[in-house]
Amino acid sequence: MDHTRRAALAGIAALGGVGVAGCLGGGGRDSLAGGAVGEAGGSEDGGGSGADDGSRNGPPTVDTAYHVPYEADTLVTKSLSGGVGQDGIPSVDDPTFRPIAEVTYAEGVPVFGVTRNGVTKAYPQHVLSHHEIVNDEFDGEPVAITYCPLTGTAQGFRRGDTTFGVSGRLVNSNLIMYDRGTESWWPQMLATAIDGPMTGATLDEFRVVWTTAEEWAERHPDSLVMTDDTGYVRRYESDPYGSYAPLGGYYARDGTMFTPLTWPEEGHTKSVVIGARTATGAVAFDEETLLADRVLTGTVGEDGASVVAVADPGLSTGYVYRNPDDLTVEADGDGYRVGAEGDRFAADDLPLEPVLAFDAMWFAWAGFYPDTAFVGDHTGAGYGR
Amino acid sequence: MGAESESASVSPLEAPASWTAGLVRRTGFAVRASLGRRDGRATFAVVSAAYFLAYAVGLDHLGLRGDAVVGRSLSVDVAVASDPLALLTRRVAPFQYEPVALLTVGPFEYLFAPVNVALGLGLAALVGVTLAVSVVAWRGPAACRIGAGAGAAAGVPGLLSGFACCGPTLLLVIGVQASAGLLAVMQWFLPIAVLGLVSTLLWVGSRVDPAAVD
Repeated sequence: MDHTRRAALAGIAALGGVGVAGCLGGGGRDSLAGGAVGEAGGSEDGGGSGADDGSRNGPPTVDTAYHVPYEADTLVTKSLSGGVGQDGIPSVDDPTFRPIAEVTYAEGVPVFGVTRNGVTKAYPQHVLSHHEIVNDEFDGEPVAITYCPLTGTAQGFRRGDTTFGVSGRLVNSNLIMYDRGTESWWPQMLATAIDGPMTGATLDEFRVVWTTAEEWAERHPDSLVMTDDTGYVRRYESDPYGSYAPLGGYYARDGTMFTPLTWPEEGHTKSVVIGARTATGAVAFDEETLLADRVLTGTVGEDGASVVAVADPGLSTGYVYRNPDDLTVEADGDGYRVGAEGDRFAADDLPLEPVLAFDAMWFAWAGFYPDTAFVGDHTGAGYGR
Repeated sequence: MGAESESASVSPLEAPASWTAGLVRRTGFAVRASLGRRDGRATFAVVSAAYFLAYAVGLDHLGLRGDAVVGRSLSVDVAVASDPLALLTRRVAPFQYEPVALLTVGPFEYLFAPVNVALGLGLAALVGVTLAVSVVAWRGPAACRIGAGAGAAAGVPGLLSGFACCGPTLLLVIGVQASAGLLAVMQWFLPIAVLGLVSTLLWVGSRVDPAAVD
């Protein structure tokens, strides 16, 4: 899509001469009802050609389901309109990028970073807060980068030959996506369909790193960054919900816009956790605590499986791993030493089985996972930045 | 004067059509008479302009530019959507439509959504003319039988409609937790406001003595 931008000095405009300055250019499901996934479900390998081919296939799914402690019908009943209709918040289906080195963002501006198939991209939070879903490709692999402003969650999903859109409905304040192939409803945080032909299916999810533009550019100087040339016009630099740099508005306030499924017993609603879920349970690590302590250990699920979280100070984020042998994990400079291994490992590359994790507002995590384990201290809004 | 006599002599229960026609004629006369005076025209212009700006702010179409990106120095900038003709009737939310251009002038930004401009101008004209009639009547002789309260009454639904399209955002600002019922009601703010404004205008018009307006 072309996005024409004309620019001129005010004095010239006053003379009626607005000049053209340029064109910017394995486990089982526990509580979620739903039964078998319908035939519309996507294949394991997914794949596909792009955003607008009209395919009726659903997105690729995985066999291992995440823990979801609610029945699907309950979640549908608890969903409500966010004030807009389906696609009232339009997804970006043809994003454009430019080198991140060409843009200077204000200090602390959040971006969502993804490295996949040898491609590194960043998606500015202030752009995604107006679209919530970007249907993109990484070296030919169709993916969706998704963001829910009200729960502070950024997650990536393989999408196969379909695309995702914004349904206009929320559950637990969280974005309910729909896939345009089967029109099934997918609450973003659960990554699990709660309505439609694919009810009960689990999306193939990958990590999206919530960090800042300067931290991402320092770690990945050759990264691309999504531009605001989306085909739509919005006041992109004005976040309708608040501000992360500095922290303000909805992101700082203790109140929520919608009543969560379950209120957490303690802690600031907008404190940030690194949340991870397995087939049997969920665990949340307070992010400010993790960034301060570097290593936190806990358990997840009824079987009490050991997990360890480590901080990545350079990106102000964290990663979660299974640690069945309770190996010692210690910080060493920017990296970590694990058990008797002599090598030092980066936070995202420990020799342990990773568990997908992502940033989330505490109230949203506790609402979806009232049985979650919690590790760390309850801190204030944000994550201490 | 004829309109006054006609509507005053007809009962709304006995001849509703005739009564309504008389009311509309009487209100139309009051509007024309009010806008024929300098104070009426000034009130209409100021109130309509102020209301339209408030409506644009309420929609979040008008506001101050953010500062996420450093180094932008253009004092005037116009960005147009990729396919404005296809987008201009695209509905974003109840009574809210897709903007097709973004105008930046210094620190200010304005999103141009043609359908919302039409809606905003219509609402602004209704609010402006109602207050113009009220102000003229209030400043006129006691025979007009109308007080400043009529003007205030006209403003209430106008303010309500100003936020008709941004329900959740409004709730965010005032810190009220949303519910399905509240959001459903908010979808009707704009038609409720239009109905309220038209009713107020007719009520104000019916209480103006056309002879006293001149």
